[in-house]
Amino acid sequence: MKVMIQKAVNTALVIAVSMLSVFSQDAGALLKKMDDVMFSPKDMTGKMRVVMIGKNGKQDIREALIQQKGTDKRMFRFTSPASQAGIAILSLPNDIMYLYLPAYGRERRIASSAKNQNFAGTDFSYDDMESKSYSEKYTPKLVNTEVKAYVLELTPKAASDYSKIVVRVNKTEYYPESMDFYDRGNNKIKTAAYTFKKADKYWNASEIEMTNLKTNRKTRMQTSDVKYDTGLTDDDFTVRKLKQL
Amino acid sequence: MFMKKITVFLIMLQAISFTVKGQDENISNQLQDENKLKISGELLTDERFLLKENNEWAWNENRLTMKLEKRITEHSKFHGEIWMRNIGLPGPVASSDLYNKGIVDPYNLEIREANIQLYGFLTKNLDLKIGRQLIAWGTADKINPTSNLNPFDMEDVLDFGRQRGSDAIVANYYISGDFFLQGVYIPFFQPANLPLGIFANALNPEMTLSEGMTLKGFSDTLQMPAFNIGESSTAGFRFKGYTKGIDFSWSYVWGYDGLPVTKKNTFVPADLYGGVNINSRLSFMRAHIIGTDFATGIAGIGFWGEAAVFIPDKNLIMTNDLSALYPLSPEPVTRDTTLADKPYIRFIIGADYNFSDGSYLNVQYLNGFMHERGKNLDDYFFMRYEKRFFNDRLKIAPVGGAFIITDWSRINDNHAIAYIPQVSYNATPDIEITMSAAIFDGKGDNLFTNLKDYDMFMFRMKYNF
Repeated sequence: MKVMIQKAVNTALVIAVSMLSVFSQDAGALLKKMDDVMFSPKDMTGKMRVVMIGKNGKQDIREALIQQKGTDKRMFRFTSPASQAGIAILSLPNDIMYLYLPAYGRERRIASSAKNQNFAGTDFSYDDMESKSYSEKYTPKLVNTEVKAYVLELTPKAASDYSKIVVRVNKTEYYPESMDFYDRGNNKIKTAAYTFKKADKYWNASEIEMTNLKTNRKTRMQTSDVKYDTGLTDDDFTVRKLKQL
Repeated sequence: MFMKKITVFLIMLQAISFTVKGQDENISNQLQDENKLKISGELLTDERFLLKENNEWAWNENRLTMKLEKRITEHSKFHGEIWMRNIGLPGPVASSDLYNKGIVDPYNLEIREANIQLYGFLTKNLDLKIGRQLIAWGTADKINPTSNLNPFDMEDVLDFGRQRGSDAIVANYYISGDFFLQGVYIPFFQPANLPLGIFANALNPEMTLSEGMTLKGFSDTLQMPAFNIGESSTAGFRFKGYTKGIDFSWSYVWGYDGLPVTKKNTFVPADLYGGVNINSRLSFMRAHIIGTDFATGIAGIGFWGEAAVFIPDKNLIMTNDLSALYPLSPEPVTRDTTLADKPYIRFIIGADYNFSDGSYLNVQYLNGFMHERGKNLDDYFFMRYEKRFFNDRLKIAPVGGAFIITDWSRINDNHAIAYIPQVSYNATPDIEITMSAAIFDGKGDNLFTNLKDYDMFMFRMKYNF
């Protein structure tokens, strides 16, 4: 009898572990599909409009041109407001960032701790803006399956300001519909709502609305005139280009 | 049937030609927009008053900066920056001065930059920049010992490291994405301009005379280098690169020190009680300047450093002609080589860090301010801590300023502090209002002790358009 119970327990354990493994594999595959949707273009150029909305509804608008190659090279150049026009940020692999301030006529290497702060006064952190794939940065777990979306819980692989991100992935097209960000104390601090539209053969996040639940502020990041695979080269992401307004 | 096919074909052709024409017009309009002259700029109002009794005005500046940009072709660009200013306080001392608008309402015009940039000139790796320009070298924050090509603009001593544009040709040759070589040629020497108003004596060292002598009068003559290719030009080159996570550069300049040095003092008796008049002859010193800099990041902290070795072209000997006082003076002529007879090094190191709560810390240590030479290099410690609030609209810097030590063996009598806290508020995205104070204190002969009677409140409004 004891032997039978032991066998039953072992079998149940094996089945449970196998199921967990299947779930985990499914979660990994789902996140990979989401990454494929978000990061498959070789390069991208476009315009970005950042609308910051205060608690009282007052809006500040910033505009920029953005160029990106792969997942780790990005040039971001502000075009308005006038006080920021011409300021450019070049992000390169290995956390290397340069800031170009036209008033000083020189590029300046900026400390990677700048990533600790919000991006250009918005509710997005530099980490949120990073184009590294989610599979690289997070370990996923499938926590729910809704009618139209899978719900994944992402746990950071390395040190992060977030303890987890809960992402809802569209069941048919695999783009993210929303993300909830939790701080190290496991409190939900920010939530992002995504609007995806197809541009050329790729899905593009035409608007991301980030709501800061602590401050009740919102930031809408809207992209337009997006072009994919235009043949940007590594030479387009150099300090030389950074200084050529 | 045949005619029908031709008609369909013609309609399709027309439709295609309309589409292509539409696209061409779009591209053409886009190019025309990009090639238009773009005008932007800034209006700055800068008012300062002293904190002591009567609150005298210390500074009055209304500056309109016009920035002009025009893309000439895909690979060339025009850039200009002009300052139009009312600066200073009305200074008529005679009724005739009231005819002079420059005295009644001081103004000036300054072309800071006006140049043409050619990208991929002759070869795709070569960029040229010709015309008046600022040539910014170095990795440190505002104070750059390796940046010695443009003349220093010391008008406002609190605007550390400001320089004026030089008429120059600059060629950048990009060896690869990570390395480039820069060559600079400046045909005419332009001296530094000295501090204005209450700052006028901030950079002047104390003059010590032999016992029994009293200064009654002072005059000087400034000898400029001859304006020819050999005498007045400055040349330099720099190799800059990035490797193993470090930005670095090596540089060399064959140029002039923009501040004059005294070559000869002639002492003339003014009375029978030891009073003397001094006539000085000043000239500018040629020097070889070898520089290096770096910037990197370790554990999220940004680090940078710069060093420049100044090698005077000739041993500078200052002659004191006391022959008019001889035999009352022990010697008719004395020679002094203490100013800059040997190579000396100015250097700076610094670090900064961004905290997750939106605050920022920047510290720097400097050995030798831009007006110091030879053995007389003081130690400066700069620090700034600021925190941003409300989407970066409000910026408070409760800690800011510098500490100087001029003699480590007698710190109590040879130190100074400049405390400069600041609050900035963006009333709109393009209007920034800044209020700050500058409190100076110290002992001994140094930059900030010379300003200790000039504690001030500063108000600035900046509008970008």
